[in-house]
Amino acid sequence: MTVGEVPTSQSGLPTHARVAAGETHLSGLRRILLSPSPALALTIGLFALYGMTQTSSFLNGQVWIDIVEDASFTAIVASFVAIVIIGGGLDLSVGSVFAAGAMVSAWSAFHGQSVVVAFACGVLVGAGVGLVNGLIINYFSIPAIIVTLGTLFGVRSLVVHLSQAQPIAPLPNSFTYIGQHDLFGLPYIIYLALIVAVIAYLLLHSTTLGWNIRALGANREAARSSGIRVRALSICLYVFSGAAAALAGSLEAARLGAGTPVLGTGLELTVIAAAIIGGTSIAGGLGTIPGAVLGALLLSVLGTGLILLHVDSTLQDLATGVVLIVAAGIDQLRRRQMFRTSARRARAAENA
Amino acid sequence: MLASAEINKEAPTSERPALEVTEGWKSFGHVNALRDVKLNAYPGEVLAILGDNGAGKSTLVKVLAGVHNLDAGELRINGETVDRTSPRLARQHGVSTVFQDLAVIETLDVAANMFLGQQIRRGWIFANRRRMFAEAADSLAALGVRVPSVRAQLGELSGGQRQGVAIARAVREDNPIVLMDEPTAALGVRETAHVGEIIRELKRRGKCVILVSHDLEFVFKVADRMLIMRLGGVQGLRTTKSTDHQEVVAMITGIAGDDETKARS
Repeated sequence: MTVGEVPTSQSGLPTHARVAAGETHLSGLRRILLSPSPALALTIGLFALYGMTQTSSFLNGQVWIDIVEDASFTAIVASFVAIVIIGGGLDLSVGSVFAAGAMVSAWSAFHGQSVVVAFACGVLVGAGVGLVNGLIINYFSIPAIIVTLGTLFGVRSLVVHLSQAQPIAPLPNSFTYIGQHDLFGLPYIIYLALIVAVIAYLLLHSTTLGWNIRALGANREAARSSGIRVRALSICLYVFSGAAAALAGSLEAARLGAGTPVLGTGLELTVIAAAIIGGTSIAGGLGTIPGAVLGALLLSVLGTGLILLHVDSTLQDLATGVVLIVAAGIDQLRRRQMFRTSARRARAAENA
Repeated sequence: MLASAEINKEAPTSERPALEVTEGWKSFGHVNALRDVKLNAYPGEVLAILGDNGAGKSTLVKVLAGVHNLDAGELRINGETVDRTSPRLARQHGVSTVFQDLAVIETLDVAANMFLGQQIRRGWIFANRRRMFAEAADSLAALGVRVPSVRAQLGELSGGQRQGVAIARAVREDNPIVLMDEPTAALGVRETAHVGEIIRELKRRGKCVILVSHDLEFVFKVADRMLIMRLGGVQGLRTTKSTDHQEVVAMITGIAGDDETKARS
């Protein structure tokens, strides 16, 4: 829209009505370049191009399949942890819930349950931990970071205790099939991660629930006074992320053919990093699922890529750290740019 | 409608009050935010709540809007006693509210804010964004509220535009009771007059409008009756036609003393 069409007063209630629907405030191109997902895709592409000039391993298709499969586990968890963060919460417990899901499903399968029952048991335990998180956070008003840190410790301890720190193996072929086989040349796990991410995407971007989640994360009081059931909604988000983490853990057990109690150690931080790199605001209210998935992919590409480039593996986490902070910095810039643009428009409107 | 009403007499209609509070008490810790508050508001009237900072106006509005529960006393909406309440329940009882802090989400667009908590669905769970954009644009246009676009994030709008969106949201809900807490706080002279028109239109449609404002001039223009509060208690009730600025200011500041004490002496 041209500047002249902006209301001539800085206030919103001029005398005659004219509402321009369907117009965007920032120019489309700038919006795309500054939004996290295209920027991430570009970064991944440039890194891959650079890698190809350095070593032929980057041209190996199997390397890329491994990278994507590796990212799939992070992406499954990151999709729903991103939703928790966008809803104004935080879930640190996913690392331990991942292990709990793996152990419970492995244990069920080991004791002769069918694949479906085994996976369902794992996911249910994860959802249960999420429910506990959500209830404590919302009914006792303890900050999410503390409650989920507590369950991160507690669940890991229980998993190690109940398993006597022993892995569960061997697992029946019916259980491991989905973790070790391909469909059209790609591991099943990649398809499953895509399905989970699409579900998360639809939930956040297309359903009425998704809008409520963003309202909850941006301004809980406003959401409540608008009639949104903020407690129930918030509890749901923790149940979802617990279930997603346990599902990813169960898949990992299927891939490895064993459940080990140390699975998923440190995963919670990787997952949060993926969400933040993908443009999720740690303050809540803002973020996208494609961003979180691409964030998971970038971390995986960096992890494998740096090894292929013969960078000392102890420096890998340094790269992750730098990317994380740079991503958060770009996000800040983007937001400032957005508000500066609108401020300029407002000023121009006043002078018009 | 209230021309013949005596000072402090309840609105002289046979109608049932749309909103009623009797002996309402509310405290936060040691602070008595509401002390024995009594309020009646009728359909088709504009009742203003006046008072200094800390008089309990906003607390009273929040009780009416369902944000706070009363500690003691009774809240009745259309004659129905409401014990435990929430903004959700209040809305179901037919109460729409424009909150002082506007209760808007800066990171969501105008349309999403207009339909917050009551979105239009498509199918079972999906949000019908297209219809929400269209209807948001329509209801803003009908009220003469101008925003750059219904797709603009609320954080990009000016204070006045946000106020316009918050008011339009409450009006769009088309509930019989509309609460407005400082609806003109961010507005200039012309925009304030415009809100006055919107309030008169609501009244014409038979709505019960409860208005909290610091702007005495505005209140005298649009309100039928005024409830004056001080230090959490009701100082007195006046009809606009039977009082003037001077008396109201004296009551707000406490120079005049409250009606009950005067009646006893």
